[in-house]
Amino acid sequence: MPDHWGFVFAAYGIAAVVLFGYWRRLIRLHAELSALKARREVKR
Amino acid sequence: MTRWLGWLAALGLLAGLAMGFGYAPKDAVQGNVQRIMYVHVPSILTAYLAFALVLIASLGYLFTRRTGWDRLAHSAGEIGVVFTGLTLVSGSIWGKPTWGTWWTWDARLTSTAILFLIYVGYLLLRGMVDDQERGARYAAVVGILGAVNIPIVHFSVLWWRTLHQPPTILSPERAPVSASIGLALLVNGVAFALLFLYLLSKRLALRRLEEEIRA
Repeated sequence: MPDHWGFVFAAYGIAAVVLFGYWRRLIRLHAELSALKARREVKR
Repeated sequence: MTRWLGWLAALGLLAGLAMGFGYAPKDAVQGNVQRIMYVHVPSILTAYLAFALVLIASLGYLFTRRTGWDRLAHSAGEIGVVFTGLTLVSGSIWGKPTWGTWWTWDARLTSTAILFLIYVGYLLLRGMVDDQERGARYAAVVGILGAVNIPIVHFSVLWWRTLHQPPTILSPERAPVSASIGLALLVNGVAFALLFLYLLSKRLALRRLEEEIRA
């Protein structure tokens, strides 16, 4: 059976993009909410 | 602690890549395309772990009404959806060269797609109910009922005649893989579990922050 490296790299590539993207999203949201919380505390 | 978990997960994933591409041999029948297994199988096992946590935390919430349990269920559920999605996509990519099709309505594939949809619904339900306490209660019920599907997904390949192969690990009989493939799978499984714990700690911190801002 041929090796189908294209399929292997596609599977690993998509996994890397999804997991890295989800991680980045968590970091970004945390930074945004932390900034919002800090602004609210300054107003008080 | 979270930072250490992150580094451990990153090292684990690198070790997993080295094991999957360097140590484990090429499959005698499928060739190198079988290496997709080192993403596909750890993804679904991590999803099982996540949804098992949703089940435990949902029961915990319904019995105690403590927000901490709901926070854990919500966070684990979201990460479980990510890993189930990854399982479906990697399985589809593996299916095309080996089965000749991206998708078939086979018992394993269909039950996994249903699992994915149940927990997408679980997350949507939380956003649809304005009252936080009521939303958490409804979500806990869905989280408990959804977990019923986990054994159906896992044993579907034994209960029905399917195109999908029988379980590689967590099999009632001895694992049908060589020791080197089994070890590569184990390293990747541990790496994905570490990644899950790291993402879970990040998601829990985010959810705690959301609660503080809402209060």
